[in-house]
Amino acid sequence: MTAYIVRRLFATLPVMAVVAVFVFFLVRFAPGDPAAIIAGEDATADAIAAVRAKLGLDRPMLEQFVIWTLHLLQGDLGVSIFSDLPVSRLIEQRLEPTVALTFSTLFVAVALAIPIGVIAAWKARKLVDRLAMAFAVLGFAMPVFVLAYVLIWLFSVKWGVLPVQGYSPISQGLWPFLEKLILPSVALGVTYMALIARITRASMLEVLAQDYIRTANSKGLATDRVLLLHALKNAAVPIVTVIGIGIALLISGVVITETVFNIPGLGRLTVDAVLKRDYPIVQGLILVFAAGKVLVNLAIDISYAFLDPRIRY
Amino acid sequence: MTTLADTAIDPPRRFSLGTAIRRNPTIAFGGVLLAILVLVGVFAHLIAGDPLRLSPVNRLRPPSERWWFGTDQFGRDVFSRSVYGARVSLIVGISVAAISCVLGLLLGLVCGYFRRVDAIVMRVMDGIMAIPSILLAIALITLTRPGLTIVIIAIVIPEVPRIVRVVRAVVLSIRSQPYIESAIAGGTKNAKLLWRHVLPNTMAPLIVQGTYVCASAMLIEAGLSFLGAGVPPEVPSWGNIIAQGRTFFQIAPWTILIPGAFLALTVLAVNLLGDGLRDRLDPRLARRL
Amino acid sequence: MSVDAVPVLQVRDLRTYFNTLDGVVRAVDGVTFDVGRGETLGIVGESGCGKSVTALSILRLIPPETGRIVGGSIRFDGRELVGLDEAEMKSLRGHRISMIFQEPMTSLNPVLTVGTQIAENVVRHLGVSWRQGLDRAREMLELVRIADAARRLDEYPHQLSGGMRQRVMIAIALSCEPRVLIADEPTTALDVTIQAQILDLMLELKEKLGTAIVLITHDLGVIAETAERVVVMYAGRKVEEASVSSLFAQPMHPYTRGLMRAIPRLDIEADTAGRRPRLQEIPGLVPILTRPIPGCAFADRCGFATDRCRAERPPSVEVRPGHEVACWETARVAEAA
Repeated sequence: MTAYIVRRLFATLPVMAVVAVFVFFLVRFAPGDPAAIIAGEDATADAIAAVRAKLGLDRPMLEQFVIWTLHLLQGDLGVSIFSDLPVSRLIEQRLEPTVALTFSTLFVAVALAIPIGVIAAWKARKLVDRLAMAFAVLGFAMPVFVLAYVLIWLFSVKWGVLPVQGYSPISQGLWPFLEKLILPSVALGVTYMALIARITRASMLEVLAQDYIRTANSKGLATDRVLLLHALKNAAVPIVTVIGIGIALLISGVVITETVFNIPGLGRLTVDAVLKRDYPIVQGLILVFAAGKVLVNLAIDISYAFLDPRIRY
Repeated sequence: MTTLADTAIDPPRRFSLGTAIRRNPTIAFGGVLLAILVLVGVFAHLIAGDPLRLSPVNRLRPPSERWWFGTDQFGRDVFSRSVYGARVSLIVGISVAAISCVLGLLLGLVCGYFRRVDAIVMRVMDGIMAIPSILLAIALITLTRPGLTIVIIAIVIPEVPRIVRVVRAVVLSIRSQPYIESAIAGGTKNAKLLWRHVLPNTMAPLIVQGTYVCASAMLIEAGLSFLGAGVPPEVPSWGNIIAQGRTFFQIAPWTILIPGAFLALTVLAVNLLGDGLRDRLDPRLARRL
Repeated sequence: MSVDAVPVLQVRDLRTYFNTLDGVVRAVDGVTFDVGRGETLGIVGESGCGKSVTALSILRLIPPETGRIVGGSIRFDGRELVGLDEAEMKSLRGHRISMIFQEPMTSLNPVLTVGTQIAENVVRHLGVSWRQGLDRAREMLELVRIADAARRLDEYPHQLSGGMRQRVMIAIALSCEPRVLIADEPTTALDVTIQAQILDLMLELKEKLGTAIVLITHDLGVIAETAERVVVMYAGRKVEEASVSSLFAQPMHPYTRGLMRAIPRLDIEADTAGRRPRLQEIPGLVPILTRPIPGCAFADRCGFATDRCRAERPPSVEVRPGHEVACWETARVAEAA
């Protein structure tokens, strides 16, 4: 198993390399003069030249690439154009809220979606199923920020039960931390929940038609054991796969959710960087988010081995 | 027991609208909803007033007979702006879907056919797919001047790999079919094979994926505009309207909820159409989701 | 061959219908039989004749969204199962009445260990600890003669051969020493040599545990080797019932005769050219079960059929002690032999 994990870890390197090369060349092959655009409309020639130097665009391409790659391998993501702070440090400072939001959303979504999907499959074509699937279809069409404002409007403005926005680090107490995460997690989680509930239902329906479920029923096992052990464990692989696919969705949503709820995480950092056209930060964030996604996929690949004994490494 | 149902043969029926809707309510509902929204988008200039006209006297008016959906902080009519927003969303959604499908189809066919190209292209696709689409679009937009075209391009890039994967999978599965293998062994030309057998088989999944890409593109565009990285702020896109409504959200929630509802409804319509088409055209995929 | 006074299972006029797009399918349409304690009853017929549905009906495992028992009675140990509440039914399944299925490759859960799949049945019904359940599982594996039972407990179905999986199914089914074991084509999916082993094992364990067996098969050969009594089914109905010896010595229903003529036989001498008599197939097709059949279901394919056969359903009549047949033309059929 360890050997497999190590092998898979190495297999992620080409993907990360592609991502790195992609962001490197994006700024170099972008239409127009990125340095001029970054420097702003009224920038002087000197200012533009300064930006160009900061981005390293004034040196030969090959040299740039070698230097950039060497820095990257040492964990050096470059320096912000505006604040001159190292991008890696900026990212580090903003990491906690984003990780907290991502995990709480993941938790909320999975904890609700799987029971919904299982019940829908169990009561297929009955009222519960139809309601659950209607919810899933609506939820999947709901833009994160629209839902976020609906939730804020209801829970904060009208009923005043939850804070409108903001973030409170976990070090300052658990409840303030959780309280401020509830609305963002739900807003961000609904799309994701819809996706997981649908795949859970579909996967469960397929499994419930299998011979071994009939065998389980012929043993007179309790319904929950048949559903949750015999069926769900067999349905798990596609569900986990979709949970992984959905991570990408979640990360895109994080950027927007943090903006709506004013959470000082990586998403806010991204938006601020975009508004200031601080490309090195955007570039660093892409690498970090892509690495996060690749690692999640790796974790999911490894989880298959625990879910399905037929998969051997 | 199942065989009884499976072997049941439907007697030929004459086409009737009633049956068609009953048999496929999703396509019918999604299609009609989308058709209405498209009409709204196309005839926006007839339906709505000027979406840009400022009227400082009538700031933040709640929905009423005069302003169906109220006004925003500049006194602009939210109804007119939302109606024009349909235009932007649909243009982005449809163009991204069309461009992604064409590019994805070409790349997918090439990948399915030529092993060596496949290895390289698919690595690149994996890399692009590792980047969250909104970030990829943001990165591109950071480096260029804002505009509709660049937004479309920025959304196309992350969407293409999805199409490529689907098309490639179809090509590979068809190539391994015995009848194709024997056709290849019999010396049938690649081009003919492609035209006669492969291309028609890619159409169903392509159309289905295309609708999903369209929905996803509209969501990304709205997200980008909302973040201030989309179409220029003066363009009345749903994302922009919502972004501009943020400051006064607590006193004028309609500035956000109305365009939000339009957006959700449009995405819903496209998704329903996609789901219906998938069930209809691609039962194998339908079983999986 | 003696049958105890009170049968362990009594099926009376069982009717199970399915709803399909084409209408109601009368999959089981008035079937009656008894199973004595410790007896082996064979149910034979071609695919689609309703024998598997009969089996699933006894365990009340017909998926409610597709079909249901519309009439008749199933008594287990004198207790009515039709209409019994689901909780009580669950406590009978796998405990008092258990079942093994045709496809050993797909009937075991691929993601649970063999030990878990046996032990859960024992724990569920006998109220023992999980430890004891696993001990019982090991015993059962030894009983069905799987070598190295302790190690096999931790293995998954994909690590076992088809024959071994069917042994595991038998181990599960017999783990609570049921009164009735329903075996639905237990050997059809297996190699011929394995088939014989599995059948022998079932009979041996039946003797040991005193379990009655309902053996469902399309194979008269299997019936001849294993069963004591036979029910022949056609189009959802019982057409003949007899002891194995009586049935093979003197089949009374034209359909049963047709089935027997369709068995390849090695005991008939080949002629000088090495040819054997041609196997005869039964002419015609099985009737469509969505249409009500007023008369005998076999009438359209039967050489003896009269107008009465087509109009009126023949009752099951005892023509010899213990030999029943549902046919209007018994006399003519007997002569023709």
